[in-house]
Amino acid sequence: MRTLSTSLAALLAIGAAGAASAQTTATSGPFPVTGNVPALCAAGTNGSGSGSFDLGVLVNTSTGLLRNDLAAPPKVLTGAFCSSASTITVNATPLLSVNNVAAAPSGFSRTVNFTATAAGWTATAATFTTGAASNPGAVQTRGTAFTGDITVSIGAFSTGGGNALRLVADPAYLGSVTVTLAVVS
Amino acid sequence: MKARIALAALVIAAPAGMASAQGPLEGRVAVDGSVAGRCVLGPPSQSAVPLGTLTNTSGPRTGRLATIAAQAINFPGSYCNFAGTRISVSANAMVAADATAPQPGFARAVNFTSTVSNWAAANAVVTTAASAGGATPAAQGPGGTHPAPKLADLTLTLNNFAVPSDLLLVSGGYAGAVTITLGPATP
Repeated sequence: MRTLSTSLAALLAIGAAGAASAQTTATSGPFPVTGNVPALCAAGTNGSGSGSFDLGVLVNTSTGLLRNDLAAPPKVLTGAFCSSASTITVNATPLLSVNNVAAAPSGFSRTVNFTATAAGWTATAATFTTGAASNPGAVQTRGTAFTGDITVSIGAFSTGGGNALRLVADPAYLGSVTVTLAVVS
Repeated sequence: MKARIALAALVIAAPAGMASAQGPLEGRVAVDGSVAGRCVLGPPSQSAVPLGTLTNTSGPRTGRLATIAAQAINFPGSYCNFAGTRISVSANAMVAADATAPQPGFARAVNFTSTVSNWAAANAVVTTAASAGGATPAAQGPGGTHPAPKLADLTLTLNNFAVPSDLLLVSGGYAGAVTITLGPATP
């Protein structure tokens, strides 16, 4: 009888040890946490004061011909970004006399062409020349998301119809430059 | 082998005992059982946390992380039937599916804090700390030890969503994960 009770006690001890080792751990998950970021571009802001390129007097007052030293400080667009691959496109319209809109007489022109350049976004700057038959370099592609300054400059001025033409008088000649960033779809 | 010998001795002794005792017989029979230590997490109130669009699409913070409200998953009726238990939480930061190293100014990771409350006095808390490039997204945080069996409704809260250095986020899908574990504090 003593032998039997000893055996039972031994069994109980084994049972208790078994319960302790069988403690279970509960796991829940993994719970996926998901979201998306749309591809988009922001053009940034002009950090160079006025939004205009001010060229001053366009002609050599002695000759009436287009000055060959026209220049304007570039404009820097800051804070521009695209969150995916993108294209940068530069477009421009020539300087045209604003008030005197009549067809220029023989020997005269009311058009000043120029080349606009948007640099800093792509390895090759996007360029657009007004009056050119085509502008294959006006659109440049960048394969990665990017943020950085875009420097917009103008130069290479020429008189529409030929530099031998004189410009008609006008208090204002107005052209434009447009830079466009777009997501590559 | 020992048991067989003992039983044989009992069988031999029994007829002699019955012959000498005429009154009612008494004996004691032990009834015993065991309850295994067990922890159970209740059914989660949702199986995923879809956050939708992560960035602002207009305004001064265009392209940067939008304000994301805290997200909660409840685990009602969670329990452990033994003392000395702990809940822990492990999380992976949300990382862009596009593994390309981001350009300067961009990040491809969104970190967040995961908190499991209502178990021990100290909540299980972990905040992921992925880099802008998406490295080291995993993190783990143990909670305090609870000294007694407990039945409780647990809540997992995700909040404090943040992008390293508040950089712009590259576009595309983002995915992270959270796992919670309830078990003995000292396995």
